[in-house]
Amino acid sequence: MNVTLARLLTRLYPRAWRERYGAEFEALLVDGQGGLRASTDVVWSALCERMHPTQGGKMDRDPRSFGAIVRHPSALIPMAMSLIALMLVLGPIAIYGPPVREPDEGAMAHLWQILMAGQLPVLAFFAIKWLPRAPKSTLAVLALQAGAVLAAMAPVFYFNL
Amino acid sequence: MRSTRHVVIDEKDPELGHYSDPPLLVLASLSNGPKHGHAMIEDILRLCGTRLGPGTLYGAIARLERQGWIEPLPAEERRRPYRITTEGLRVLRARLATLQQFIKAGVGRLGAL
Repeated sequence: MNVTLARLLTRLYPRAWRERYGAEFEALLVDGQGGLRASTDVVWSALCERMHPTQGGKMDRDPRSFGAIVRHPSALIPMAMSLIALMLVLGPIAIYGPPVREPDEGAMAHLWQILMAGQLPVLAFFAIKWLPRAPKSTLAVLALQAGAVLAAMAPVFYFNL
Repeated sequence: MRSTRHVVIDEKDPELGHYSDPPLLVLASLSNGPKHGHAMIEDILRLCGTRLGPGTLYGAIARLERQGWIEPLPAEERRRPYRITTEGLRVLRARLATLQQFIKAGVGRLGAL
């Protein structure tokens, strides 16, 4: 089959499918027998894939890609904890205005500390598990997690809480 | 698993019934070693005279991979070989055992005619 037709037929598949199988599928079409039967088979299969996508409408890309790694609970949980910690600080400030520093830190401060400290083991687990497997993507996720931590800490230091 | 039997192409005699369970054919093809798509098509053709269309083959590959019955190996140029997993071998054995029972019973009934 000629390259242009192979490319055209591959484009009939959903994007997620193409991202995973597109290159090898196109190579198979180019290497294999062309003809109406093969083309009809591809058109029908592409249609089936669009109607009944593999795995609920989305395909994972490379399991070591940023998109795949960032979806793991050990990547998401620390960011969620940082976000909750940030909301704990910003919420009362938005409602009552900048707080005055008091000797007793209060429940919110303790909760903030638990959230920030509690994510450290999860972060360590994530780094230990994923750094050897996909260093580049893992570093990007770690940078995102570090950004979330800094965002949660920024108002504390800014308001000297 | 989605049925793809309507797009299986039999080169020997399209009028005769032919075996058309692409996932099982892929598992059987990979049972004697890793293969890329083109090699699988040729192997299945030798195995049972059925030429899988490229779309049918990759429909089966995608679903088998999702189920963890086959796994991809690093790509060689643009071709990606696949190999059967331990779980895939277990499934293949079970399916073939069922088929064997079915064939035995079917042949027995035909013999009684």
